[in-house]
Amino acid sequence: MPPRNLLDVDDFTPPELVAVLDRAVAFRDAPPPRDLLAGVPVLNLFFEASTRTATSFTLAEQRVGADVISFAPGASSLGKGETIADTALTLHGIGVRVIVVRHHESGFARRLADAFEGHVINAGDGTHAHPTQALLDLMTLRQEFGRFAGLRVAIVGDILHSRVARSNIVGMRALRIEIVLVGPTTLLPQAFAGAGVRIERDLDAVLPHVDAVMMLRIQRERIAAGLLPTLDDYIARYQLNRDRLRALRNDAVILHPGPYNRDVELTDDVLADPRSRYVAQVHNGVFVRMAVLDALVNGVPVPA
Amino acid sequence: MKTLIKGGRLIDPVLGLDAQRDVLIENGFVVQIGEQIEPDGARVVDAANAIVAPGFIDMHVHLREPGQTHKETIASGTAAAVAGGFTAVACMPNTDPALDAAAIVSDVVRRAEAAGLARVYPVGAITKGRAGHELAPYHLLAAAGCVAFSDDGATPRDARVLRNAARYAADLAQVFISHCEDADLKGEAVMNEGAASARLGLDGAPSLAEDVIVARDLLIAADTDKSWHIAHVSTGTSLDLIRWARARGIRVTCEVTPHHLVFLDDRFDDYHADSKVNPPLRAAHDRDALREAVRDGTIDVFATDHAPHGADEKAQLLSLAPVGFSGLEIALGAYALAVRDLPPARFIAMLSTNPARILGVPGGTLEVGSVGDVTVFAERPWTVDARLFHSKGRNTPFDGMTLPRRAVATVVEGAVVYEHGRVLPREGALA
Repeated sequence: MPPRNLLDVDDFTPPELVAVLDRAVAFRDAPPPRDLLAGVPVLNLFFEASTRTATSFTLAEQRVGADVISFAPGASSLGKGETIADTALTLHGIGVRVIVVRHHESGFARRLADAFEGHVINAGDGTHAHPTQALLDLMTLRQEFGRFAGLRVAIVGDILHSRVARSNIVGMRALRIEIVLVGPTTLLPQAFAGAGVRIERDLDAVLPHVDAVMMLRIQRERIAAGLLPTLDDYIARYQLNRDRLRALRNDAVILHPGPYNRDVELTDDVLADPRSRYVAQVHNGVFVRMAVLDALVNGVPVPA
Repeated sequence: MKTLIKGGRLIDPVLGLDAQRDVLIENGFVVQIGEQIEPDGARVVDAANAIVAPGFIDMHVHLREPGQTHKETIASGTAAAVAGGFTAVACMPNTDPALDAAAIVSDVVRRAEAAGLARVYPVGAITKGRAGHELAPYHLLAAAGCVAFSDDGATPRDARVLRNAARYAADLAQVFISHCEDADLKGEAVMNEGAASARLGLDGAPSLAEDVIVARDLLIAADTDKSWHIAHVSTGTSLDLIRWARARGIRVTCEVTPHHLVFLDDRFDDYHADSKVNPPLRAAHDRDALREAVRDGTIDVFATDHAPHGADEKAQLLSLAPVGFSGLEIALGAYALAVRDLPPARFIAMLSTNPARILGVPGGTLEVGSVGDVTVFAERPWTVDARLFHSKGRNTPFDGMTLPRRAVATVVEGAVVYEHGRVLPREGALA
């Protein structure tokens, strides 16, 4: 049974995940017929501003032939007055069959999916999950290494507030990638440790031993919230820069979910480094999203 | 008017009695306890195969009146109380307006009398508007009927205010009740901080948020020599602090809720607010410590923190939905479920004798001459269906669960107000 929704990466079983990524690669190598989702009404419902993800989804939807509707309600217009259930019922009644949703509250996609009879794709809910970002990261890793099991990946920075990190942890664990989380305790509580997930506080000790390093964005509001002292202090320990690039293996790759803050979590040297895969990531994003739309609406072609 | 509770097993912690006895109530007071009392025209409550106990008192409920009557009224809340086996409840002051003036308290008392079901004991605010700044008029509130003082969910952040409140009210017998949560440590939390909140991307409140306020308030109690009651303890460390305080001679009592004794912080995977409550449901080691503290006597009282809300309010997003849920009608079964091996006399003491003593209210025993408030309950497994609640608040994490114990009949001042599954307002009651 293919999943009805993609709320987080683990809505797909590991074989389904691999099949979706295979499909994404096939779409990249040869454009699919434009009628995969011909006439299927897809609503992009972005309560939270997004440039890259919204654009990527829209392009993906157009390439599979969906009827695309995009709507960016004010962040708070839902939740006051109309209930989630009423909204879901209304949208289904209008004829929407797929909702791609982004919302500032963790769990919003799940709450919407529980009330909506069609398909829901989570394009980011609060600090909880961002599964298509994790899928495009996994696609990029697979393209690089040809395998998942046994890889060791470091995720560095503000894990606590990162839906990208959480979805990657879920996906990487399912695919038996060894995960090393790196950051200060205020942004990376010990509660994140678990089977297949190790916590380190010293980036320099980790860098020589990983196949990939994913640098998360650091937001200045963490300083005002009393979670970071100064950017300088963070940079001294966790910034990926020219010096630290030397510690990274030649065959390792650097990932970043974007948008990056230059001279905070990384420097221009990183973006110019041949090991950086940022462009490949965003490029893969469109094909992953096409594959997800196809998988949810038409089923996942898992080899028996 | 005479009422005879007949054929039951009478357990009275004060009398040290556990035997089959009939209890005769006349004009609101217990007049006779005997092995075989003839009805002689009395209204008879059949207590065969059931336990007869002094009336249960829930010292922590929210009746929402005045100001939030879409959630609950004094009439619906006291109907829920008697259906759950409670003859009396103490209602918290977080109404709108708050219970911070004598006239508002008098109004609550009048409405409770008009409802004619359970006794209602108002808990007055510690600060005006529960805002944490100016002291409430304790002597006037006490004269109007307040049995305790509390700012409920909004404990004063300013320790100086709380200390002065306790010093000013030192000559009153009314206990101070603390809902212990540090607002800064708690932040915007919707659940307990731990592996589950980390995984779900939800803000969690650390146990520390409770522990630091418990410690602060115990030290203020010691400093002011005011007797103090810690509401709904939820962490193991809070219990250790309370044990330490008692060993030092500090006059402190505490309570535990059904939900903290039964549930853990693993109930948020669907991002629904059904289990959202303050303090939050905690980790297994905390729940186990609570159960142990019931057994070893550290915890004095079972109290529900009955906090009814409208279904549409609880259906909102987790961040917007209000905290708490109804508890009165599941309480007896839930306590029994949580601590199955608790001797019945202790169970009754925690629901009757101890809260009566802490609040200084009638009841807690059925000794001849005592008030005629009786709870009859039985080991009778039943399945919770929140749709059938008398409370207007129909959400509870216990919905659908099978509980081992329930109330059979509730008698207040000799009047049978609950029997055979029906709430029976007293003669002359308006509601």
